[in-house]
Amino acid sequence: MGTPLIQNENFVKIAAPLAVGILFLLLWEGAVVAMEMPHYILPGPSAIGESLVNDWRPLLAALMITLKVTFMAFAISVVLGVAASLLFVQSKWIELSLFPYAVLMQVTPVVAIAPLIIIWIDDTTWALTVCAVIIAIFPIISNTTLGLRSVDPNLLSMFRMYRSSRWQELIRLRIPGALPYFFGGLRISSGLALIGAVVAEFVAGTGGAKAGLAYMILQSGYNLQIPRMFAALALITLTGIALFALMVWLSDRALRNWHESALKVEH
Amino acid sequence: MNSSPITPVAISATKPETGPETPGTEPDPAAQAAPDALQSSRPVLQVKDVNKIYANGTVALKGADLTVRQGEFVSLLGPSGCGKSTLLRIMAGLGDVTSGTVNWWEHDYNVIGDKGRKLAFVFQNATLMPWARVRKNVRLPLDLEGDASADIEGRIDRALEMVGLTGFNNAFPRELSGGMQMRASIARAMITEPNLLLMDEPFGALDEMTRNKLNDDVLKLWQKNGWTIVFVTHSVYEAVYLSSRVVVMAARPGRIVEDIAIDEPYPRSADFRVSAEFAGYCRQVSQALERASAMGQPAQQEAH
Repeated sequence: MGTPLIQNENFVKIAAPLAVGILFLLLWEGAVVAMEMPHYILPGPSAIGESLVNDWRPLLAALMITLKVTFMAFAISVVLGVAASLLFVQSKWIELSLFPYAVLMQVTPVVAIAPLIIIWIDDTTWALTVCAVIIAIFPIISNTTLGLRSVDPNLLSMFRMYRSSRWQELIRLRIPGALPYFFGGLRISSGLALIGAVVAEFVAGTGGAKAGLAYMILQSGYNLQIPRMFAALALITLTGIALFALMVWLSDRALRNWHESALKVEH
Repeated sequence: MNSSPITPVAISATKPETGPETPGTEPDPAAQAAPDALQSSRPVLQVKDVNKIYANGTVALKGADLTVRQGEFVSLLGPSGCGKSTLLRIMAGLGDVTSGTVNWWEHDYNVIGDKGRKLAFVFQNATLMPWARVRKNVRLPLDLEGDASADIEGRIDRALEMVGLTGFNNAFPRELSGGMQMRASIARAMITEPNLLLMDEPFGALDEMTRNKLNDDVLKLWQKNGWTIVFVTHSVYEAVYLSSRVVVMAARPGRIVEDIAIDEPYPRSADFRVSAEFAGYCRQVSQALERASAMGQPAQQEAH
């Protein structure tokens, strides 16, 4: 029978924001043309698109560098963050002694310590990665720790009544229960890893073969290649959106059978 | 948190095992006779002069004495805050006592896991793992105990069949109704073939039809398997319908005040619910409950 497209939730979910985006780009283009805005002040979407096509080679190379740093930082944050959380829930003492340092790392602006890290670590990619990890790791630690602690006390009582080992408690109870929190942390952290990678590169100002999108923006700015600057910016934004969407998809896959956040509610 | 929170040391005797020395209003629970046949069977659970005082000074239990014998169906009934859930948790070895002793099968906690001395607990909520399918939830106790006997799958099938959940193996808890979740919870409790089942207001959140149905089912399983059950409830009707004994508790401080034998034969059915005897017992228990409620409210305090 087919419901009208407008009533299809999935269609609307994509079409509505897309329509807003297209409308915005059209207005932008129209305004730029109407006001005869020079390219070096504000290029229209068409000029940016043109730059994306013409400069795809350097843009893609820069994107790859930024992606590499982002993914390395994200992966390291997940591994170290989860390890730290597992350590924290082993004993209140460990958590009390170490958690303040996790907070310390979080509240120190990475821009302020990036120059130091860049001096200490020769390899630029690694230096940028470390900076991005410093930003991205905290949501993983705090969310996962919260999740591992948020166990149904009755379930825990039951486990103990059957004399569960700590290992059984962790594997069968705490870890599955912490997954929704962990995935929440992933969503935040994936975006932060990208931001960290870009911010660190701004500070490092690395050029040459290892230049990422941030350097592309800086350099295009110096050269008044403003359309290319916007093109690089657009790539960063799209990467962020793609990462977020990937995390949402992952969390949906993992939780769809049981967790409220991933359930489709029928009214 | 310690992985073995139940230390027998904490509940070992610090006082001689004499009767309750608590003065005043409380009748001696031992004076209220349980049915003769049960009186002679051996005690499964003995709570002797148990006091439980929380760190903030709240006296949750004062001088609790209770003996539950093999094959009994004992209900704990009382106003909110009378410590009936606390008492039940202590009976499950889930909480330390401040003083007094608890014995299971005339031993301390260490015998609970032994063969023929299994204890199981059914919580107020179904307390299932939401991420695991029904079958996996039901077999959890076996997994935790490392039970690797050959017939595990068959045992799970039988447990599911007994509670009427055959065919729901692969359902997730959220896909089940409240009553069915409770059934899964009971199947999980049954899987270790316990002979002492502690149930903490298991059907309190269910509608009356489901509750009556589950009451009948629990009675059947109790008779069929020769269980001993201690059942916390605040429904007078449920307590009278199910129990061979109703233990009435009062609040502030939480204590046992009356012990009423329901001397009616099993199996009980819908006919019993409408009989004069049932009404009589309900009146008797209600009056006891009123007396108990009055004790807990010295200064016009509303019980929560």
